[in-house]
Amino acid sequence: MELIDRYVREVGRHLPRKNRTDIQAELQSTLVDTLEARVDGEPSLDDEVELLREFGSPRTVAASYWPEGQYLIGPRLFPLFRMVVGIVMIVFVIVQLVLLGIAVVFNQEVLTFLSVLDILSEMVGSVFTAFSIVVIVFAILQRFDVRPETEQEWDPRDLPNIEETDTINRGGTVAEITFSLVLIAILLFLPDKIGVVISPGLEVILNPVIVSYIPVIILSIMLGIAVDVILLWRGRWETGTRLAKIGTNLFGIYVLYLLITSHNAWLAQEGAAGFLSFLGSISEDLFTNEKSTLIISMHAFRLAFIIALIVSVVDTIKRIYQLLKPLFIPPVTIPLPIENGKNDRK
Amino acid sequence: MRDMMNDIDYAGMHEKLTQELRRGILVLATLSQLKGAKYGYALIEELSNQGLDIDQGTLYPLLRRLEDQGLLESEWNVEGSRPRRYYKLSPTGGKLLQVLTNDWQELVTVMDGLLIEGKE
Repeated sequence: MELIDRYVREVGRHLPRKNRTDIQAELQSTLVDTLEARVDGEPSLDDEVELLREFGSPRTVAASYWPEGQYLIGPRLFPLFRMVVGIVMIVFVIVQLVLLGIAVVFNQEVLTFLSVLDILSEMVGSVFTAFSIVVIVFAILQRFDVRPETEQEWDPRDLPNIEETDTINRGGTVAEITFSLVLIAILLFLPDKIGVVISPGLEVILNPVIVSYIPVIILSIMLGIAVDVILLWRGRWETGTRLAKIGTNLFGIYVLYLLITSHNAWLAQEGAAGFLSFLGSISEDLFTNEKSTLIISMHAFRLAFIIALIVSVVDTIKRIYQLLKPLFIPPVTIPLPIENGKNDRK
Repeated sequence: MRDMMNDIDYAGMHEKLTQELRRGILVLATLSQLKGAKYGYALIEELSNQGLDIDQGTLYPLLRRLEDQGLLESEWNVEGSRPRRYYKLSPTGGKLLQVLTNDWQELVTVMDGLLIEGKE
């Protein structure tokens, strides 16, 4: 019977504290009863082994004594949890990107390749942290059996309209093409007019950096036009066009990155890299001094490009999400709670 | 090959659904045999003799849960070859057994009707 003793003790290790010894005693007596009923005379070690094997591993046996339905985050709370996780993740990523943008504005050294990797890994890390915090919060809610309010004030008329996520915005797309063509025209025929205009003399102070990048910029815009044209022709979004749009977006992001880094380099050369430090050194001849005007305008251009970069990244992420959504989100199932008179719901 | 695949699915599905059916009746079956006090192992034997096989791993936790819910009472009995925990219906359990038995009869009638209709 030694095996049975060891077994019973091991089961006890995994039992809930309440009634533990009592359950163990009952288990012991049952096992011996069963053994005796099966075997005439003295049970052998093999008989014990076989019996215990049949009974099940200690953990499994102990598990059946735990209260039913133990969840980290139960079925009642889970839909709310999914919603909160989705929102938190998106907000988090956006905030991180904005912070990145601000960091770049104030310290242009941030945007080297290695440090970008660094920052990306930090972002991923903090996304994980945010996720675990939400999980822990909901686990606590589950532990204290907090019920979400579901069935109460729900008006069918408040349901959102059926969204056709595949439809394109025809007017918007046409406007985009037009605007892009205008932009290309400016870049091609008026490169000497790209800069800042100061009202007194209607003089244009050129942006020296953009000029060298005009070819790539034009290429990027043309790619965008191509995708838009195809889109208009196909009439709606499909996987191919989504991918193409993501691709041109990524190219555009790359071009913006080039522009931003070259602005950084130019500003560093002029010794006016950090925005804050430059602000500090602004003198009174602000707009009359051509040099400082130029520097300010370069800062402005850079800021505009950074914002464009952030917007582009967010848009790309959104498109990637829309591309992948059908693969990962399972169809919605509506659980039907069937109450048949059992009052075990407190 | 395809038929074999279907057979494997079929057997598994059958087992799963049968288990669900049985899970539904376990409580009533258990309560029905505990008008007089019995200990776990004897209860299993008796149910088995009458055609209902219950796993030890299922019955014992069930007995405790029913006791926690107030449907059963238990006490240790030290006479006999070893100490054994005896369970029997509590007064509440007794009343519930009656009510549930009626519910069961009604269900059986309804199901018979449904199943006959299905054959048509």
